[in-house]
Amino acid sequence: MATITPAQGELQVRTFQRSPLSRIRGHLGGLWGRPITQAILKAVLTVYVTSTITFGLIRLMPGSPVEIKIDELMQQSQMSYADAAASASGLFDINLNAPIHEQYFEYLGNLVHGNLGNSFLSKGTSVMSIILSVLPWTLFAVGTGLLLSFVVGIGLGLIAAYRRNSLLDHAVSTGGSIISSVPGYLIALLIVLIFGIQLRWIPITQMRGAFTSGITPGFTPEFMGDILFHASLPITVFFLTHIGLWILSMRSATLAALEEDHVTVARARGLTDGRITTAYVGRNAVLPLVSQFAIAAGAVVGGAVIIEQIFVYQGVGLRLVASVNQRDYPLMQGIILMTTVCVIVANLIADLLYSRLDPRIGRAGGATGK
Amino acid sequence: MPVLSVRDLSIDYRTRRGPVHAVRDVTFDLEQGETLAVIGESGSGKTTLAVGLIRLSPRSARVTKGEIRYDDGKRAFDVLSLDTERLRRFRWADCAMVFQAALSAFNPVITIWEQFLDTGRAHGMGDKHKVHDRTRELLDLVHLDPNRVLRAYPHELSGGMRQRVLIAMALLLDPRIIILDEPTTALDILTQRAIIDLLRELRGKLGFATIFISHDLSIAAELADRMLTMYAGRIVERATVEDLFYRPRHPYSVGLMRAVPRVSGALGSVASIPGSPPDLIRLPRGCSYYPRCPFHVDECLQQDPPLLRVDTPDHEAACIRWETVAAALGSDAEAPVAEKLA
Amino acid sequence: MTAAATTVDRRDVTRLPGPVASIFEFLRTMSRKPVGLIGLIGVVFFLFLAYVAPFLVPLQDQVDVTSIYAKPSFLHPLGTDFQGRDVVNQIVYGGGDIITTAILAALFSTLIAITFGSIAATLGGRIDALILAITDVALTIPQLILLIVIAAIFRPTSFFALAVILALLQWPALLRQIRAQVLSLKERDFVEAARSLDLGLMHIIFREMLPNMRSYIVIHFIIAMTLAIYAQAAIMFLGLVPLSGRNWAIMLYFAYNQGALFFKDSFFYLMGPIMAIALFQLSLVWLASGLEDVFNPRLRS
Repeated sequence: MATITPAQGELQVRTFQRSPLSRIRGHLGGLWGRPITQAILKAVLTVYVTSTITFGLIRLMPGSPVEIKIDELMQQSQMSYADAAASASGLFDINLNAPIHEQYFEYLGNLVHGNLGNSFLSKGTSVMSIILSVLPWTLFAVGTGLLLSFVVGIGLGLIAAYRRNSLLDHAVSTGGSIISSVPGYLIALLIVLIFGIQLRWIPITQMRGAFTSGITPGFTPEFMGDILFHASLPITVFFLTHIGLWILSMRSATLAALEEDHVTVARARGLTDGRITTAYVGRNAVLPLVSQFAIAAGAVVGGAVIIEQIFVYQGVGLRLVASVNQRDYPLMQGIILMTTVCVIVANLIADLLYSRLDPRIGRAGGATGK
Repeated sequence: MPVLSVRDLSIDYRTRRGPVHAVRDVTFDLEQGETLAVIGESGSGKTTLAVGLIRLSPRSARVTKGEIRYDDGKRAFDVLSLDTERLRRFRWADCAMVFQAALSAFNPVITIWEQFLDTGRAHGMGDKHKVHDRTRELLDLVHLDPNRVLRAYPHELSGGMRQRVLIAMALLLDPRIIILDEPTTALDILTQRAIIDLLRELRGKLGFATIFISHDLSIAAELADRMLTMYAGRIVERATVEDLFYRPRHPYSVGLMRAVPRVSGALGSVASIPGSPPDLIRLPRGCSYYPRCPFHVDECLQQDPPLLRVDTPDHEAACIRWETVAAALGSDAEAPVAEKLA
Repeated sequence: MTAAATTVDRRDVTRLPGPVASIFEFLRTMSRKPVGLIGLIGVVFFLFLAYVAPFLVPLQDQVDVTSIYAKPSFLHPLGTDFQGRDVVNQIVYGGGDIITTAILAALFSTLIAITFGSIAATLGGRIDALILAITDVALTIPQLILLIVIAAIFRPTSFFALAVILALLQWPALLRQIRAQVLSLKERDFVEAARSLDLGLMHIIFREMLPNMRSYIVIHFIIAMTLAIYAQAAIMFLGLVPLSGRNWAIMLYFAYNQGALFFKDSFFYLMGPIMAIALFQLSLVWLASGLEDVFNPRLRS
């Protein structure tokens, strides 16, 4: 969620200049080879920790899903414990007779090969393939919504800062603050409720799903248009949920940038206002926001869950809820892992972008940690 | 024909408690090619004056009256009457400003070369190569290696180098006036010396007029032809360098001279000026230096003393008791004030 | 509050007893920026609604199938739900659980964040690096997704358990900020003094530094509450938590799944809880924003 107050916006800009991943990188400090290898190492660490957590959740907790499954099988199919255990073992793809640490390593081993196990429901369908079939839709909707909100939000934030304390500034800041305080799924509900049902402006029943089944997939305008049609509501919600954050962050970053000495000098040099706004104020203000964007892109995958539920949009969020309702544990596990990987990738991109854009950050082995 | 004529310039800052009269009735001339030093302590208004000359004051500042006449022989106008576009073109091309070395004067995300290019382009130098050639020429003039400097980002250069770059950039459009605001503060001694020598060299070669703002008297002595002393927003003394150092007539100038320690002097020969500058929002009636002045009398409280001619036509001091001051200095048991700066 | 006291004031506030005077000052500072005041009023209103109103309004629990989704009327100002129960009544009774859980969750996560953030900042070195590393890893995992899975596996049946789970997911963000604050305070004189007097670590943290971070902590507590409400409503709406009782989020769940979307008359059955949650969140955020202004005078432009 992007709850934001003006000071929070300022704080965000200052503390979240670099992604958690790059900070992990910084922790190990010193010369660990090229920054890229460091970052990848840290990514691996995070994945490792996450997978261990999910392993623990599934296997180690009292009343763990495995035990429940065994009980279930014993009751439903009147199996003996041994048979039920064997069956469960097959389903979960782990050897229940082996000691725990062996199971653990086997699990990790599978992961390294990209094997996330098979879905309970459709045995034979690998979890990985299921995820890969739904993840792109989520990424598409989230990505587009976020990108639009970024572009528009940056623009509005800049204008608000330049016209500080004007009516426009107050309107934009307050509006942004209000929208960002309301949870995304409530906005989605409101849209459905008010525009879809009460006012009947939006044909929501037609917009369910990621695409209309009759149309053949491909890079045709027809298909593209159809996708956009179906994704437009989720995109709108992602747009609205995040625009407040960009507006307030950019506004505060721009105000800070305007105070900088070099801006005064630039005006003394007789540079045009246009050039100053873009290259002197704008570029400096946007810098921390760029990496914030990449981080947000990673994080918003989580929030997409409910929104997809409401719009019946077949992305990874919808699948997660379904898998929870169906007790499809391997799929749940897989989704946690894959979404974490998304966040990690987004963080990596954030760092890359930031180090490219800001010449003060050491190029080639000079990470000035915070 | 003075290249800059300032008449009765007054600048206020808006604050919650009321308007701060930072600059009051400032009047002076700047001749072509001459160097004018403006001396004063913090809060005297000298920096406000400096940025005010190119109308770069912060939003809370307002010019309440006065005029700033610029005349380089080809064009003449009042800077205060320029519209935004003409003001933009006036800045840097006719009058450039070199800021303190401590400031981050450059955009951190752009190379030095691009910043030169920006400056050139903003003033109609469309040909990239011309800008490039001129830039190289200027960097040579300030004794920097263009190859190294142009490709660099600001944070990759030292403070002294950045100051030189800023000076080079100031000369890009061959301005008639350069304003230097504390150009050597925050630099180490050796770099200070280098910058001062550089300034002298450039002035000799290119012949621009300079307004030099500082609180450092010794540097002013080296570079300036004439000096202005500012106190509480007003000019309290105007004289040639020699006159000011050997024959100061305003008690504040005298105090300033005395406050500079002698290299060869005995301990105890330094005296600071007791007290502090007045509140610029509620200025007291009469002379604003009254509380700290060893020469004050009741008459001083009646009105703010105007600049009175003392000794020579070129020497003025805002003190009704200047004759007493002169006499006091004359009979000073210690060696002449100027010896302080030996 | 002391910052506001420097302005010369005609009203003789000093005649009022101490605590009353400072509340007065507080309210006056808040009212300079209306946002904070509106937030404060909103929060107070909802707290009243959630905790006091149930004592004033009797619970209407009977199922009445004859008036399912009835139009708003004098008897039922916002209509009825899918079982004929009054909507307004449910909203009155619906706040308590959610708000209590949010307060608990915020409490826990703030405690964790303060404790470990201070320890990390004070001790520095390896421990700091370790705590930070754990925090950053925890921040990387998408919280809502993890929450959903944990809720699905553990099926918390009490609000307390839910609060604990929520707290476990929120502490990373707060911890970083507390740590940053402590780091900046660490170098201050009074800490030096305490250290040279050899006062224990706990003493330094709790008696010396925390009082200086009071304002910071309060604001973070409020923000943590908003995060907790967001998360709660999310998982209850998805029907993942087998909690009974009536609260706004469960109202949403039922409303959504019992087709309230499609009847014109049940509009308020949906809008009610939506507005309740949204307005409460808004009030909390505005209150936090207003408090920021009170505590940080330099933010006032």
